Amino acid sequence: MSDTTTSANRLARYQTSAHIAGVVAAVLGIVSVLLPWSYAHEPLDDVAYYGAPSPLQYNYLGLMVIVLVMFGAPLALRRKGKFRDRIAWNTGARFGGYAMLATALVAVAGIGIEAGGLVNVDPGGWIAVAAGVLATAAGLVLLPSAAPRTGTFRTPAWGQILAIAVGLAAVLFAAAYALGLTDSGAFLFYLTFALGLALTLVRVGLFGWLAQCAADNKKVLVFAAFLVAFLFPFTQNGSDANMSIATQVLFFSATALGLNIVVGMVGLLDLGYIAFLGAGAFTSASLSGSLFAHINWHPPFIVTVLISGVVSSLLGLLIGTPTLRVSGDYLAIVTLAFGEIFRITMNNLDGSDGPNITNGSNGINNVPELGLFGFNFGDPHVMLGVTIGRFANYFWLMLIVLALIMVVFVNLNRSRIGRGWVAIREDELAAEAMGVNTFGLKLLAFAGGAFLAGVAGSVKAHYDVSVTPDQYVFLESAFLLAAVVLGGMGTVMGVLVGATVLKLLPEKLRFFSDYRLMLFGLLLVFMMRFRPEGIIADERRQLEFHAEDEELAEEVEGELIAYHDHYNPDAAKTEELR
Amino acid sequence: MTAAPEVARGSATGGVLLDAHNVTMQFGGLRAVGNVSMHVSRGEIVGLIGPNGAGKTTFFNCLTGLYKPTSGSVTFAGQPLPPRPRKVVYAGMARTFQNIRLFHNMTALENVMVGRYCRTKTNAIDAVLRLPRHRREEREATDRSRELLAFVGLEKKADTLSRNLPYGDQRRLEIARALATDPQLLLLDEPTAGMNPQETREAEDLIFRIRDLGLAVLVIEHDMRFIFNLCDRVYCLVRGEVLVEGAGDVVQNDPRVIEAYIGKPTVIEEDGNDA
Amino acid sequence: MDLFWQQLINGLSLGALYALIAVGYTVVYGIVQLINFAHGEIFMVGAFGAFATWVVMGSPKQMSWQAAVFGLLPAMIVGGMIVSVSVALLTERLAYRPLRDAPRLAPLITAIGISVFLQEVVRLFFGTIPGMPDAKRAIPFPTVTGISGRSFQIGTVTVQNSAVFTIAALAVCTVFLWFFVNRTKTGRAMVATSQDPDTARLMGINVDRVIMSAFAVGAALAAIAGVAHGMRYGNIDFRMGFLAGLKAFTAAVLGGIGNINGAVVGGLVLGVVESMATTFIPGQFGSPAWKDVWAFVLLILVLVFRPQGLLGAKVVDRA
Repeated sequence: MSDTTTSANRLARYQTSAHIAGVVAAVLGIVSVLLPWSYAHEPLDDVAYYGAPSPLQYNYLGLMVIVLVMFGAPLALRRKGKFRDRIAWNTGARFGGYAMLATALVAVAGIGIEAGGLVNVDPGGWIAVAAGVLATAAGLVLLPSAAPRTGTFRTPAWGQILAIAVGLAAVLFAAAYALGLTDSGAFLFYLTFALGLALTLVRVGLFGWLAQCAADNKKVLVFAAFLVAFLFPFTQNGSDANMSIATQVLFFSATALGLNIVVGMVGLLDLGYIAFLGAGAFTSASLSGSLFAHINWHPPFIVTVLISGVVSSLLGLLIGTPTLRVSGDYLAIVTLAFGEIFRITMNNLDGSDGPNITNGSNGINNVPELGLFGFNFGDPHVMLGVTIGRFANYFWLMLIVLALIMVVFVNLNRSRIGRGWVAIREDELAAEAMGVNTFGLKLLAFAGGAFLAGVAGSVKAHYDVSVTPDQYVFLESAFLLAAVVLGGMGTVMGVLVGATVLKLLPEKLRFFSDYRLMLFGLLLVFMMRFRPEGIIADERRQLEFHAEDEELAEEVEGELIAYHDHYNPDAAKTEELR
Repeated sequence: MTAAPEVARGSATGGVLLDAHNVTMQFGGLRAVGNVSMHVSRGEIVGLIGPNGAGKTTFFNCLTGLYKPTSGSVTFAGQPLPPRPRKVVYAGMARTFQNIRLFHNMTALENVMVGRYCRTKTNAIDAVLRLPRHRREEREATDRSRELLAFVGLEKKADTLSRNLPYGDQRRLEIARALATDPQLLLLDEPTAGMNPQETREAEDLIFRIRDLGLAVLVIEHDMRFIFNLCDRVYCLVRGEVLVEGAGDVVQNDPRVIEAYIGKPTVIEEDGNDA
Repeated sequence: MDLFWQQLINGLSLGALYALIAVGYTVVYGIVQLINFAHGEIFMVGAFGAFATWVVMGSPKQMSWQAAVFGLLPAMIVGGMIVSVSVALLTERLAYRPLRDAPRLAPLITAIGISVFLQEVVRLFFGTIPGMPDAKRAIPFPTVTGISGRSFQIGTVTVQNSAVFTIAALAVCTVFLWFFVNRTKTGRAMVATSQDPDTARLMGINVDRVIMSAFAVGAALAAIAGVAHGMRYGNIDFRMGFLAGLKAFTAAVLGGIGNINGAVVGGLVLGVVESMATTFIPGQFGSPAWKDVWAFVLLILVLVFRPQGLLGAKVVDRA
């Protein structure tokens, strides 16, 4: 204790110098953009010009401006006031420094690798590194600020909505831009930049303020977010490659969200989740009218979706009923076994080892395009001058499916059932002793999760055109779990972020694809060790994983009150009246 | 069986609510509870005392559906006791725990609302579609839970996480949570463990007020003074059997009880051999 | 009837393999109540360690059976054990130990992560070690003269020499385990810790060391199983731990998880059930392609009708 106090006292004398050093570093960074970073033209989509920054360098420039503000603001705001005190300038500055250094290092490394040697790095690149080092050093000298209290700023409604609009537009633009990058180095640079920027803005407290804006305008936010997602195909000019990736991200998110009900809300580890997706896909493919299917009944898709969901949830009941009575640990391994059995069974139903239903490892091919109310999802059409292709059609359909799963997720969470789930997670024995039907609720989550997977799978069968057993193996389940764990157990946003990151990375970083699984395995281990609650944490989950943290408990309390007022607006109102 | 139950039955204010008859609980060769008979009537506060290892908790678990007695019967409101804790709650008997078992990362209000679970019927479809039943029950559960929090004196702490509550408040919150299940009989497992005298007095007051609501209360306790002030009748359990049963002052002054708590080790030795 | 005896022998040798792995699950579960999903990968790593030992010894091919059985085989087993035990201890120290007080979901997810990680590390990097073949495909396991591929007849029943090795290894290990648990200080400390870790700590038992020895014992037996697997099937690959681990876990649950004798019995029963199923279930569902399914069905049946396992679990339900 005394050690930290004395070192803090020692550091206190250098605060002003550190702020000035940080400003200098940011200016240095701005100067570097005006110089070429690389001698060769290929790396990072060409960063080899004097005075003409590339788009990537403009992004970096934006980061510099923000870092400049972080370090400069405390110099400018000498007097006490809400802007000086409620915003965590120093913490933000420190993370801005890290972000500068990280992006500069990635840039230099990228140039070195792609052009074959660090010789190709021009002075601009080295100046950026130097600026990063200086900013990081300055940031480390700064005493960390108190936690930001930006949520307490009063903002007029139009300002809040404007903030939401700007934020979402930034997300849309960033996503479209990232998808457009084809060079691995450039993508990695952009990713580092985006993560660094986001982290800086979170630390300084901007997200706290945005979260407040969002909380005050939930409906606007949700509507706007879907509008933005809906508009996404129009930014792609009919490019199938990117739309295909985006649609896969949606499939992955929808499935991961279903898994998150089971893992995140009830705390049951389901390692065979992909098999429920597969069961849905096989059911749907068998009923689709494909020439390879062995069932001669082709109900309309609406019926098929329901049948697929029911088949999956029946399988869930079959597995869950014996297992959930025993112990949560067994569920993990039984579902793991179930995933394997599913694959084996689908392989065996080929006519020689069993009745021919799935054509064995060949699977069911040529699944026709989805038809819904006479609309064929394979047909491209032109809308507002932009060609909307097959992938965009499925993208929109999956957007609707995702929205439905989100509604299920959120509404269940905020109900008697959701409370029962939390109680089970916290203390199953006490929950049972308080009259909560623990077995029934666990089974509901498990079978319900399976149902949602079945629904997603039935669309996926049409999207993938062919359904084979090896699409639905354990590693895919582990991959889904990684998305849930990375994003945040028990949150919608977290899973969307996790799924997007995990699906996008291998698509964009080709060199990385062989190491993909190894790194995901490692990711699971590291997340559990250092941030078990995920990137975007569910407050209660965070508390459970950090049982000792009293400060956190106080902090979360405030957020839970807001949550209560949400689902019980009457009580909140009456209290206001008093 | 002594003659005392007959006497007490006569003095009971209502009918018999909980009736345990010759309950025996055997773990392998160990007989933790042997031939214990006990009854609790409506509107009555009954105490269960006994030295450590007397089988109080085992007996308690037989009453709450955690254990199924090896022999003997337990009836509640005239019906045989269902064998699962959840169903026991549903039948109208709720409990607290000796070492507090709140849902620590839920607010006080949420904790109590979990208690309402068994008296509400909203299903998944109601909840997902936000059907009227969900909204009505959610509103009712919130109102009732706030009422109960006020009843135990925690109305100002409804939005506090239960782990952030002081110890005494946690005990009261557990009682509120149990009351939320609309019980006819409340079972309190050492409700004053770890409390200071002031808090103990408040607990006593709270239990009287619960009785005044028309509930029966069964209290397991170590604190003799607390229990003799509180209870209409007291059972003293020693070595798995009912040693004495009767009104507070009768039990308090019974030499066998004093002996069991403080008394002659040799005599207890013999008792043990007999049992 | 001959077929019955033949399948019984096959089943027992397969079951002995499962039992050797199952002990690892059960010992660790008995002490820390953790299902170490990565144990199947420890088994795989042990097999690769044994293979690597053979390469380091100069890839000897022609030798007398005495040299093979008393020189090469023990060397490979020891090499495999060194690798598997080191990996197991590293995972315990770096991944599981920091999570000992975390909610139960955390170590389970970590175990999945380690499992995937180890598989991929072997797949990607085993071949980059000088002298080692690429592990992306199955690698032929070295021939141990006198055991690999040899068999003898008892009446009409054919017995593989590798089956004799596996069963004998299980017998030796069981005796060793019994002695270890009942007659050594560490063993008794393990029993104490499994019953009550906190009290054990108060009694001066170094709980960390006990947990590490549990991981080590399990890994050592898994390495023997790895060698046995190599001799039985003639090759090893990075995926071999997944299904074997799953089966071994089934065996551990079947016998009663946490119970060492249970793991042995459970393994043998599971092996026999599997081989009998492929012979005596009529029609298409009796084909070998379904044997894993039957093993799994057995797991579900056990959970329904006897969740504490055949011999009774130390810890039945800690949900």
